[in-house]
Amino acid sequence: MTTLRATIVGAGGLGGPVALSLGAAGVELVIVDPDRVELSNLHRQIQFTSIELGQPKAPRLAGSVVARGGTARGVVARWEAGNADELGADADVVIDASDDPATKFAVADWAVASGRCYVVAAALRYGGNVMAGAPGVACYRCLFEEPVEVASCADAGVLGPVVGAIGGVASAVAHALARGERTLAGALLVFDDLRRAADPRIVRFAPRADCPACTRAPISPFATPVRVAEVH
Amino acid sequence: MPSIRVPSALRSFTGGASDVDVAATTVRDALAELDRRHPGFAAKVLTDGAVKPFIRIFVGPDDIGGLAGLETQLAERDEVSIVPAIAGGREPGDA
Repeated sequence: MTTLRATIVGAGGLGGPVALSLGAAGVELVIVDPDRVELSNLHRQIQFTSIELGQPKAPRLAGSVVARGGTARGVVARWEAGNADELGADADVVIDASDDPATKFAVADWAVASGRCYVVAAALRYGGNVMAGAPGVACYRCLFEEPVEVASCADAGVLGPVVGAIGGVASAVAHALARGERTLAGALLVFDDLRRAADPRIVRFAPRADCPACTRAPISPFATPVRVAEVH
Repeated sequence: MPSIRVPSALRSFTGGASDVDVAATTVRDALAELDRRHPGFAAKVLTDGAVKPFIRIFVGPDDIGGLAGLETQLAERDEVSIVPAIAGGREPGDA
């Protein structure tokens, strides 16, 4: 059986469920995060305990994956252009589980330029988005152009269980992409309010003609017809 | 009548309403109608009459960028979705 590999950018509320579930499924992981565990994290970053306060998140989360029989390596760093090739080199899929808009674009841009599959997950208040990226389809920068937030969690907050749910979906989508499943490639899954409804709206979008990431992509999305039918 | 699904980040402008019915025949008219009822909403979505770069608008599952943009016609039961870019996972006061 082929071993799947993934790089997870962010070891917090989203990265925790992604890492634990993919690791338990046998996916070999690189987990990247520059931060340390804080008391205010614990209500939603349930992979950590009070014993781990002050310790770097990435190796602690990698340790939890290994303790459950998985394979993982934690890297205390921020994903940047200068280290992306090293951190993502072996990955079948890269998952952005960060809380930083600039990092989301950096991960997506690198994946597009490298011809890799990727997932961008985000949560805010009671909902969130999961985008499934793959070579040959419109990219995250086609979708949102540039890293400017309309609202941030620092202003709006996020409900603890919501990040677990969004992280779980991101993990399932990433696992599918890594296995070569492309049903959701190029789709954005939108969860408006998980307190009221768990079903996402699944929308697709066309590549932007002036997208700087797609114009340099090894597999261009402009030759690929956009599928606009809703996926169920 | 068409409806607009309001993202959670913008519901403070609609009194918390997540779905608002609008009497409109285009996406532009729908946003204008919503702005008349909830002043300030359109400014969060549009700039100089165009959709802001970190927001996408869909009619049903279809991106209006692949249709007729803000002039996309709306049918009686169409649902307009506004999807902003969001980050995630952080709480106020976190590092």
